[in-house]
Amino acid sequence: MRTGASLAVVERPFRPRAVEWEMERGATQADHEATLLAQIARRDATAFETLYDRYSRAVYSLALRLLGNPQAAQEVAQEIFLHIWRGAGEFIPTRGSARSWVLSLAHHRTVDALRRQRVRAVEPLAEGDLGAGGGADVVDQALRGIEGATVRSALMTLSPEQREAIVLAYYGGYTQQEIANRLRIPLGTVKTRIRDGMQRLRVQLVHGEEERR
Amino acid sequence: MTHEQASELLAAFALHALDRDETRAVSAHMRSCAECQLELALLQEVTGQLGSAVRQVSPPPGLREAVLAGIQKRQNVIQLQRGWAVSLAAAAALLLLVLAALGVSLSRQLTALSARLTAQEQVLALLAAPTARSVSLTGSVTAAVRFVYDPDRGRGALVVSDLRDPGREFVYQLWLIAGTQPESAGVFRPAPGQPIVLPLAADFSRYQAVAISVERAPSGAPQPTTTPVLLGKL
Ligand SMILES: [Zn+2]
Repeated sequence: MRTGASLAVVERPFRPRAVEWEMERGATQADHEATLLAQIARRDATAFETLYDRYSRAVYSLALRLLGNPQAAQEVAQEIFLHIWRGAGEFIPTRGSARSWVLSLAHHRTVDALRRQRVRAVEPLAEGDLGAGGGADVVDQALRGIEGATVRSALMTLSPEQREAIVLAYYGGYTQQEIANRLRIPLGTVKTRIRDGMQRLRVQLVHGEEERR
Repeated sequence: MTHEQASELLAAFALHALDRDETRAVSAHMRSCAECQLELALLQEVTGQLGSAVRQVSPPPGLREAVLAGIQKRQNVIQLQRGWAVSLAAAAALLLLVLAALGVSLSRQLTALSARLTAQEQVLALLAAPTARSVSLTGSVTAAVRFVYDPDRGRGALVVSDLRDPGREFVYQLWLIAGTQPESAGVFRPAPGQPIVLPLAADFSRYQAVAISVERAPSGAPQPTTTPVLLGKL
């Protein structure tokens, strides 16, 4: 039988001490969080609690910002953490930090919830907000809600059009197509604004990255 | 989707601003493109910072309890369905007949059967899927145990027709093995003279094998403590 390798593996005892060991060797916070996700993927409930305590505020705040309603934010946050519990194995440390993985998952789920909400409310996307320029109020509101000074000033280096497109997408939960409808501009224009704007934010916000053009 | 097309859409993908079809197409390309993976990682650092910059508010205290209660329910199961061993004798016996004929006219037989077996609809639908696979578990004990699964839909079932009683203090525990890491998929006891079916849902592409070990009753162990008695390669 070709079970030798698996059997040897299976008998290895559970290793809750792996984290301490790495911490003693001066592992970074990011390494530690990647380790937490790996433990969660192995159904380690204690690691999950630690991760919850570290991220519940960030996840809930993001959901609340997008949904604007504490009850809905709480429901989505709960859904997000169950997704983390089940999907932690999908996190790949070489493809980004644990923090950005968690926040990306949280954003994705929240945007889904927001879109479900909008379908129910049948919000007239294309027709609405004519006088307001289609996105100005959402953008203003979102910018007021941003407290991180670095992000705020990075956003202010974008052109107003780029900023509007990115804010509507990220904080408004709109697709590129919806943004084009809302602003009554061609889809191609929205795509360009988003691409260029994100490129610029990347140069401003991602440390240790050389400007690429 | 070509690399050029995907790369054009990556910024919007990171912002979750694509529609469903575009999202799917970019995800599919991403699996095999290291360049796009790296690019996305950088873009997600940006969106992560956008997400962290919002006004921070403490969640209501009830959230923690609700979340932890939610995972408790899922723990040790990967969706073990309660009561699965009860009153399935007839359905499971038919299933086993079907399993014996596996490979040949399986989907046609199942189409005929499924109408009458509402209780086992899920498992039957699973077996009827053209992508379904079946492996026999073998090892140090005599047993008729098969694991049937559909990798495309992430559904599977362990079918046990003949396995000796592990003794009062013990249960059998099913493990899915990912690389070097076994993950519990639930515990069970064989019912004397009666086949049992243990349905579960999981991403089978992550696992290379299924194994069964004998563990302490009633709830088994977080990681295997004994050598598996049965093993099947996925
Ligand atoms: Zn690519």
